[in-house]
Amino acid sequence: MSTAEQPIVERASIDVDIACVGFGPAMGGFLTTLSRKLLNDDGTPAIESSVMPGMPLQVICYERADDIGFGVSGAVTRARGIRASFPDFDPTQIPLAAAVTSEKLVYLLDPIGASRRSRTLRIADSLLRKLAKLDHEAFELPYTPGFLHKKDGYILSIGQFNQWVGSQVMSSGVVQIWPGMPVGEALIENGAVRGVRLVDQGVDRSGNPDAGFTPGMDIRAALTVVGDGPVGAISRDIDSKLGMPPGNEVREWALGMKFVIELRPEVDLQPGTVLHTFGFPEPEIFGFLYVHPGGLASVGIFVPSWFNCPVRTSYRYLQHYIQHPYLWRYLEGGKLRSWGAKSLQESGKRGEPFLAGEGYARIGECSGSTNVLTGSGVDEAWTTGVQLAEAVLELMQAGKPFTRENLVRYEQRRRASWVEKEARVAEKSRDGFQVGVVTGMMGMALAAFSNGKLSLGGKPPKPCEHLASLAQFYRGKVELAEVVALEKQCAAKTTSLHDALMNRCGWPQIVPDGSLLVSHQDALLLGGKVQAPAGYADHVVFRDIEVCRRCGTKLCVEMCSAQAITRSLEGAPNFDREKCVFCGACSWNCPEMVSGQPNLQFTAGAGGLHSAEN
Amino acid sequence: MGTILFLAHTEADGTLVKVALEALGSAIDLSKQLSGTLAVGLYGASVEAAANALGTCGAQRYLSVSGENFAQPCYATDAAACEALVRASGATIVIAAGTSRNARVLAGVAHRVNGCVDTHVSHIEAGCNTLAITRWFYRQRIEGSLSRDQRPWILLFDPGTHSAWQGEAGSIAIEQVAVTVPETLRRTTVRGIVTPPADQQTIRPDAKLLFVAGAGWTKKQKDGQTHVTEAETLIVDFLKCSNASLGGSKSLVELTGENQTALRFMTHLNQVGQTGASPRHPKGLATCCHGEEPHTVGWRFISERRAINLDPNCGWAHGKADVLYVADAFEVIGKVNALLSSQVTSSAQASQNSA
Amino acid sequence: MSNPFHVVVCASVVPDPLQTLEPIAGPSGPGLKNEMMLPAILDPWAAHALYEGAHLVKQVDGSKLWLVSMAPKAKLQQVMMTVAQKVPLQLVAIDGPSGGFVDAHQTAITLANAIRKIDGLDLSRLLLFGGWESASRSAGVTLQLVGEQLGIVDQFQGVDSFKPQDNGSFEVLERIEGARHQVSVCTGPPAVLGWATGNLGEPPNNPQVGMANMRLIMPALQRATAASVSPDGLRYGSVITPKQQRETKIVKDKTADEIAQEIAQWIGQE
Repeated sequence: MSTAEQPIVERASIDVDIACVGFGPAMGGFLTTLSRKLLNDDGTPAIESSVMPGMPLQVICYERADDIGFGVSGAVTRARGIRASFPDFDPTQIPLAAAVTSEKLVYLLDPIGASRRSRTLRIADSLLRKLAKLDHEAFELPYTPGFLHKKDGYILSIGQFNQWVGSQVMSSGVVQIWPGMPVGEALIENGAVRGVRLVDQGVDRSGNPDAGFTPGMDIRAALTVVGDGPVGAISRDIDSKLGMPPGNEVREWALGMKFVIELRPEVDLQPGTVLHTFGFPEPEIFGFLYVHPGGLASVGIFVPSWFNCPVRTSYRYLQHYIQHPYLWRYLEGGKLRSWGAKSLQESGKRGEPFLAGEGYARIGECSGSTNVLTGSGVDEAWTTGVQLAEAVLELMQAGKPFTRENLVRYEQRRRASWVEKEARVAEKSRDGFQVGVVTGMMGMALAAFSNGKLSLGGKPPKPCEHLASLAQFYRGKVELAEVVALEKQCAAKTTSLHDALMNRCGWPQIVPDGSLLVSHQDALLLGGKVQAPAGYADHVVFRDIEVCRRCGTKLCVEMCSAQAITRSLEGAPNFDREKCVFCGACSWNCPEMVSGQPNLQFTAGAGGLHSAEN
Repeated sequence: MGTILFLAHTEADGTLVKVALEALGSAIDLSKQLSGTLAVGLYGASVEAAANALGTCGAQRYLSVSGENFAQPCYATDAAACEALVRASGATIVIAAGTSRNARVLAGVAHRVNGCVDTHVSHIEAGCNTLAITRWFYRQRIEGSLSRDQRPWILLFDPGTHSAWQGEAGSIAIEQVAVTVPETLRRTTVRGIVTPPADQQTIRPDAKLLFVAGAGWTKKQKDGQTHVTEAETLIVDFLKCSNASLGGSKSLVELTGENQTALRFMTHLNQVGQTGASPRHPKGLATCCHGEEPHTVGWRFISERRAINLDPNCGWAHGKADVLYVADAFEVIGKVNALLSSQVTSSAQASQNSA
Repeated sequence: MSNPFHVVVCASVVPDPLQTLEPIAGPSGPGLKNEMMLPAILDPWAAHALYEGAHLVKQVDGSKLWLVSMAPKAKLQQVMMTVAQKVPLQLVAIDGPSGGFVDAHQTAITLANAIRKIDGLDLSRLLLFGGWESASRSAGVTLQLVGEQLGIVDQFQGVDSFKPQDNGSFEVLERIEGARHQVSVCTGPPAVLGWATGNLGEPPNNPQVGMANMRLIMPALQRATAASVSPDGLRYGSVITPKQQRETKIVKDKTADEIAQEIAQWIGQE
């Protein structure tokens, strides 16, 4: 049926009291706190709806993913805020959760010799080899720095934690959570947010109406709570239309990618074991291993935006990471149970948006709550959700509207809390990494021990501003002529460049074992169980194809966690939404700007990971 | 030990389908293993020919419910017929083929005779005091064996469980079991069968080859464009040349349903795995299909498996196929079509020449 | 239209088909490893039945739709988060087991009992819808057994089409061998229809439908009656996931011509 013959379908609109965008730890904290106060003991509404008189408050949460149990994170948390909300918190009630039993910080040396290490680091390595006691090519630090420790906390599967929280919130009967409902944009009128607009359904890949066309519904609400995570579309929409606080910008990111691995039965690792690592596969790449009950381990890496490799990537590095002798002794022979990837928004206070405004508030990672110094975000997000709920309850009980002035109560609570206090310490703690890894480490320590007063390095550039050129990055490792030749070959075969260059640098080929070392696509399908429903538009769009054709690096291709973005012979990338896991790496790895925005536009969509063991 | 009833319906032409003869083979074996009596129960419009055809199978009784009232596959009358046959035989075990006609009613019959039922039986094992069956669970992912105490136990067998019984015909005395059909059992009438027109008939259960077209046919190719019309032509030609049966993956079938640019002849009936079928063919060729588990569970009964995919790391590469050709299916299938049709032409020539 | 239908859809909850399923032995029989953790969906063919039922109810004035589902309450709540966005429905929730190894006979008794108790259900107008076979037990017997419990002798399986006629009768298309359909006409309800896929696509997620449904679904979940299903006389032996690994030969360096030759030859072989 051509577009001309399509009947005009009116856009429907509904009114709710509070519209929530995204269901993660932040929204979990918000809805748990809110839902506890919405009913009287006799079951009558404690706070009446203003859109449905006589009914309880209509609080509706829209989540993009097909299930709230599909969240991705290898998470270890001190759970201070979570335990304040759940004084009887019992990890045995949540699948994959475990109390932390041991914790180590480990420096991994490079047994292969292919990583790109500065002279300083190489000297440090050889000193360590001579003087220190190494264990399987790694140096276990004698203690875990105070800012990093999680010894009183829990290892969690975010997916299972969200499922557990969501289940309780839903069974209260006063909140509705709707998965499979991506939110496309905020409804902004005269500088105020009046609700949200859901994504169109029944459209073709370009967004044109097709069979079953249903324009995305408008959800009008007096308060819109945005907890859409590091790469949320609504956060981006509000920031671009209503602006950021002067001088604040999100410039620092990382891509976290991890496996959940079923360990061999004879592996002697206790549930609750926490390993933090750095040094391998590249000095810039931090890693982790957490042991869940039931013989499962979450193992992953973070590829940061200040890792200036022009063909930086994740999956191949993760495969090398797990094969480091220090880890491989536990992981070899294991079975891949799950895989996932997600960006982390690491700008903290420097990337903080307006925490609230007319008719809206921001909680969780989209509001800059993640702390890169302590390496935690779940509890911070949860706590900001709780803080907002407390402020909102106060306002509703006093019959006050959700204006910018009134919502300041949320900001006040947040500023007075440990979340803010620790965020200040973290604010400049990682600036040293802009200079180099060793400087970065020193800077972190300095910031931590001076409570944020001292730091090294300068303000971070934007994620793609300081990418090395291919020539620069591979100087001394691969001849420029060869780099150029490889680039041409990969373009002709439409394969990505990072594999070719990593091979050339001495990274050994990954030998698949069909069980743990599997192809990237196998990880998607066996591990992540990635799927996308039909009827939605592509949510990764290249604004100007000419710009893509001119783009040398095609970093979006190299960094795509799922190989959903691939080279094409045309020069402009292909996007296969059925592979996308919504990690958002592409959104901060596009080096080409068009009218102040990255040429690659990453918006809301449906589908993604379908693995609950995450 | 008791009576084992082999229960079957006759076709419109009075014969028994192959899967029924396979079930009979199982029933005969079982009656020997359990030292039981074998009885044959037939229902349908006319049953004499079928009963005689089974004349030497070793059954000691031949029971039937027949006549115009029982010609059409219809729950009310078929259930009444089968119930009567089970009761008249006094059987403790009832074995039938898992045809659509039997499957429609036999669970209901089990309830009526205060017995129990299991379907999709793939194996049966009799011990001295035990009888256990094996069947698939979770859509051919898990295989379980089970036994039950309750009797009668009605079992519907899947095809391929046993070789089809072959034997001489005989002249049989049939016991007619009377079944009245009051108005309450006449509320449903069968009007006929709908068959897709010959040129749209893409499902061929007796084909030697299953050809699966995956979603990759409709995706952007190397030149950045989709080539759906070309894909359709290649697939339709392949089916013509090879007489294969067409299967698809869930995603491809759903694309078609949503009116997206997809293969127009794909329907839900073509789906393999997931909410689709698990067809039985000696060979299967998967093209432009990734080979994910929910789809490949439907390949459980395909013996030889090959795949064509540009991705050397697709699911087929790791133990799901015998051979994976890393190649462009558009190219390869085009050439296969040319080869197959020239083979057909030359063998037609040869027959013409020899005629 | 004076011939409204009372459509009761029986649908179980099954693990999302993308998940890896492994059997384990439990105290009351086999089960699935980590079953409570696996994401769940409404059984696929039964879900089709639900959408067809909702479509029918919309077309025929005065008709009603109920969804009867037995599953652990937490799972049912989870599944409702998706299903409730699809079509308007009234939920009858039974808090009980929902695995493929649970006995169908016992399950059918529980479902039939729950159906008999539905307030406002006119059994003479009943169309009992469900899936032809579930993705769990995959037996295709439960719906038939429920039908028998309710005394219904007009039953259809593998249904792809249900067309009501003006005189209260209806025409049904059932899948039979050879990818064909049998066409039957029944004078009217009650009847049992075990659906295959039908021809409707999955309805899109609709927030309005969701909100309206939730008002009744949450109380229904809270009121869910507990049911236990005993294995009574059913005993399992070995329950395994058979290994299906083949030694795949990967052919990378042949030309399209060579590959085509090989395939054509293979097809031609006996």
